[in-house]
Amino acid sequence: MRNDNGRKRSRPRERRDKWFNSRTLILMAACGIVAFGILVARLYYLQIVRHEDYQRQAASQQSSVETEVAQRGSILDRNGNSLAVSSSAYNVFVSPYECRENKEDAAAVSAALAEILGMEYEEIYARFDKKDSWYEMLKKQVDEETAEKVRELIRNGDEPSLTSVHLEDSSIRSYPYDRLACHVIGFVGSENRGLEGTEAMYDRYLTGSVGKTVTLVNGWGGQMMSTAFEDYSIGRNGDNVKLTIDVTVQSIVEEYLQQAIEINDVLNGAACIAMDPHTGEVLAMASYGNYDPNDYLTLSEPVQETVDAIEDEEQRNRATTEALYRQWRNKALSDTYEPGSVFKTVTLAMALEEGLVTEEDTFYCGGSVTVRGREEPILCWLHSGHGTQTLAQATQNSCNCAFVDIGARVGAEKFYEYVDSFGLFDETNIDLAGEGDSIWWSTDVFTDESNKSQLAAASFGQTFTVTPIQMITAISACCNGGYLMQPYVVSSVEDGEGNTVLLNEPVVRRQVISNETSATVNRILESVVTYGGGSNAYVAGYHIAGKTGTSEKVTENLTADYREYVVSFCGYAPAEDPQVVVLLLLDTPSHRTGRYISGANMAAPVVGKILSRVLDYMGYEPDYSEQDLAVADVPVPNLSGWGQNDAVSALTYEKLDYEFVGSGSSVTAQCPEPWTVIAAGSKVILYLGEEPEAEEVVVPNISGLSYPEAVRRLGSSGLYARKASGVSGAGAVVGTQYTEAGAKVPFGSVVEVALIEASGQGEY
Amino acid sequence: MEDFEHYYQEKLNNENIEQLPEPPVRNESLGRRKERGPLDWPALALILLLLVIGVVMVLSASFVRSYYEESNAMYVFRRQIIFALLGIAVLLVISHIPVSVFRRWSLVLMAASIALLALVLALGMVGFGSRRWISLGFTTFQPSELTKLALILGFSTMICKYGNRRMKTFRYGVIPFVLVLGLIVILLALEPHFSAAMIIMALGVVMMFAGGTRLRWFVLAAALAAGLLLIAYRAFPYVQERITAFLHPEADPTDSGLQIIQSILAIGSGGLTGLGLGQSRQKFMYLPEEHNDYIFAIVCEELGFIGAVLILILFALLICRCFWIALHAKTKYGALVVIGITGHLAIQVFLNVAVVTHLIPATGISLPFFSYGGTALLLTMVEMGIVLAVSREVPLPKETEAEP
Repeated sequence: MRNDNGRKRSRPRERRDKWFNSRTLILMAACGIVAFGILVARLYYLQIVRHEDYQRQAASQQSSVETEVAQRGSILDRNGNSLAVSSSAYNVFVSPYECRENKEDAAAVSAALAEILGMEYEEIYARFDKKDSWYEMLKKQVDEETAEKVRELIRNGDEPSLTSVHLEDSSIRSYPYDRLACHVIGFVGSENRGLEGTEAMYDRYLTGSVGKTVTLVNGWGGQMMSTAFEDYSIGRNGDNVKLTIDVTVQSIVEEYLQQAIEINDVLNGAACIAMDPHTGEVLAMASYGNYDPNDYLTLSEPVQETVDAIEDEEQRNRATTEALYRQWRNKALSDTYEPGSVFKTVTLAMALEEGLVTEEDTFYCGGSVTVRGREEPILCWLHSGHGTQTLAQATQNSCNCAFVDIGARVGAEKFYEYVDSFGLFDETNIDLAGEGDSIWWSTDVFTDESNKSQLAAASFGQTFTVTPIQMITAISACCNGGYLMQPYVVSSVEDGEGNTVLLNEPVVRRQVISNETSATVNRILESVVTYGGGSNAYVAGYHIAGKTGTSEKVTENLTADYREYVVSFCGYAPAEDPQVVVLLLLDTPSHRTGRYISGANMAAPVVGKILSRVLDYMGYEPDYSEQDLAVADVPVPNLSGWGQNDAVSALTYEKLDYEFVGSGSSVTAQCPEPWTVIAAGSKVILYLGEEPEAEEVVVPNISGLSYPEAVRRLGSSGLYARKASGVSGAGAVVGTQYTEAGAKVPFGSVVEVALIEASGQGEY
Repeated sequence: MEDFEHYYQEKLNNENIEQLPEPPVRNESLGRRKERGPLDWPALALILLLLVIGVVMVLSASFVRSYYEESNAMYVFRRQIIFALLGIAVLLVISHIPVSVFRRWSLVLMAASIALLALVLALGMVGFGSRRWISLGFTTFQPSELTKLALILGFSTMICKYGNRRMKTFRYGVIPFVLVLGLIVILLALEPHFSAAMIIMALGVVMMFAGGTRLRWFVLAAALAAGLLLIAYRAFPYVQERITAFLHPEADPTDSGLQIIQSILAIGSGGLTGLGLGQSRQKFMYLPEEHNDYIFAIVCEELGFIGAVLILILFALLICRCFWIALHAKTKYGALVVIGITGHLAIQVFLNVAVVTHLIPATGISLPFFSYGGTALLLTMVEMGIVLAVSREVPLPKETEAEP
């Protein structure tokens, strides 16, 4: 039988020991179980434990994300002028890998690109050394014209087109008005992200969304076979942001602010805000130093020179960084200052609101006042004292003693509550980043009954600091009927089709004082400009109201001849129904100019000029008083073609002098041009048949002269004078001539002057 | 060669040989035709299952590269399926050959394969910095592949001839085997072909272990192997590069570290359930050798942890089943041959998967049944055929149970 046979044969001649089977079993365990246990454990680690990590890495190499660049939205001023616009641009890069693979001539390509892009040949050629790279960026944000030249190069005439040169879409941000309103607008960093100002604050509206197509790619960089895309999202261009800023108002503000900085040699920057007091809309906001957002990494020349002078490289780099941050810093928003006498407006408003003072009250100033808890008496800036004054006179004189009295009547607790109500403890919540925090005494110290010196000093605006935006918002509440508004710079956000995405409307945070109190404050502050310490801001016909401020900065080296001040002026017009409020401050005017450092002297004329220009622009009709008319500058009538006698009588009516040149019977030309406004008494030149000579004359120095003297001095040089601001009373002298002495101007030009009170030099 | 003559001389004095019936082979082969049992169905089923899965995975892993490089997605697959069908035929034919035939030709085959290894050094084709291939006109052939099988067959013969008692001595249990192994390893080192040398040494160890060599010599061998590895590391910059690439693949992710990094990404991104059959992304020109030595990475990516473990379980089942066959083989020779072949299978699978999963440095070891390559697949099928041939001589289970 087969089985028997098998059994018989299964007894081997070659005997198997016991150990043979056991060794076989050991091998079986090792090969069949242990080895696989190790492998399964390893797979568990790789596929389960580390799965997500590896999946992410694999996905990142297997997919390529193509982005469709979204056009960043524009920033417009309130009238639709473009302040920031994006336009298409291109990045040029080369692919050394493809160059090598397709045997293209790197040298020839480099030479051609060097010419098109204006780069060094060696620099480009060196990039081809990275032989395995597919992406070597040569130049970012080239314009359409350059891009077309690059496309032409890639097309390569009749030869096969180049594979080693590529263009990719990008966009470029430009700011047509350069430095204008730079701190409000801000700028955009290299990744198309807003970094400052509105660009940063409204970034999520401006950026839009980037369109994305995720494609699976193979190891050679091409698409995987069948799958066209895995995922994709449609891009959307950014929304347009409309500001409350008015380019014209901003230009006016910046023009005069810059002039004030130069004339007064301001050392530590300056700020100016123009606001609609009824709505809180910021019409203009300027801070110095400033920068050009087109080129935000460039320092202004003098700053750059200072930085370059630093020898040590590390220190120089640090100084550069600091200087950049300083020029980007919006002083009007971020820095705090001691407002000084401007704050008296707030003290006045609260005292009137509480009924603790009336316009009929009188205040005595003997030059100093004693305050409980303070050994030294507080001195009035006029040490001889102002004597007995009405409330309006005390404000006109900016009398510290009177305001210590007024503050004391309000009392520390009430005072503190009002400060809070006027929003001076909190941020204004303006829609810009970087608002600074005000600094005040703590409640305990301020309301300490045994020491009234904090209250006394605060009453005239010292021993605390606020930001300019806080101050102008508080003053707006004083003059607009009592409403504390929330200031803002963006009025609306619209998408590309013109649909409104966001609409900012005026926000009344609270009513602080009554309409009546507000009217009284306006009346008193107008008198400050018309008759008092603010008269340098006076511009005939505009009913400007305002208050000066001069505060000494607390510095470490307090030497008598080196005191640092912040001078400021806050004014608004017309006083009965303010349309614009302007706060201007100059931080640390230098002593070098020899000018008397005060808000009245340095800030008031500028604000007066700004207000009149802005009101003109806004279509406000000047409303002259009789007194204004008596001393007003006059327009030169158009006398062309008139006979001699008629011309003379017309000029005499306008209180202008005259001189004939030539011997014709009628006027063929005149100097100055018709409708030029010049000082009364100036000599108009009438040409009878002769051609006027086009010669240049040198502007004389008329600083410190009275207005009539200045008119004569200018007249003798063939020039005319016009009053920019100030009252041309007996004590008025030329404080600022807006055309510098020594400048060459055409014969017959008009030199604008700011008149200041020669006698009224004090810490108004 | 002198060594062999020496041992044949020895054998003449060997009592075991005297006990061998002189004309056993022809008579037995005639008689066995009747008494041979059926093939071992579980083993055959596992072999065919692995072969089918392997061929499908070759198709999945290769069609992208075939499409890109040969403009024919089926190029690799078509060749592989021809070899697979050929392999099945070979398997069936071999499984019908009586085991004694292998034994009779084993020493000749071993000597011939050693001669071929010497020949390849003189006449072989050079590729990838070494001389490993002999051209046969229509295809190339690696003598080292044949050597592995020849070694298994030859060592089994030697072990049987020496008998249990003498295998325990140093003179018989160690010296002849080490001399043969040493000669082969030196020839392979000259090519150089370290992965083959490693496998050959591992096979030698398995055979000697099963054959009864005393355990103490293995301790000595381990020390010797460590020394050899150190020498190889010192002497061959090619080995050093491999080790460096193993320890720090991220240092050169586009060149020496490329394979292993991409392999790990493929395996890791597969996760628990995988991307689905045919859905691998790493095969899109990211992972080199994706249908060859690294095919298991694609398996892991497409079939996930579950699929990969199932395939490993199939291998483990086949290996255990083969050991079962060895345990139940009628002759000690058959048992030893099956142990050798199964050990070979296990070593290849373990080393391949260990390389792919970054457990050991990269060596060119293919995965049986899966990796693309005609000769390797045919040799695997030949080996499996021999296992099945042995299985046919396994007594039926009843009788096995009846045995004490």
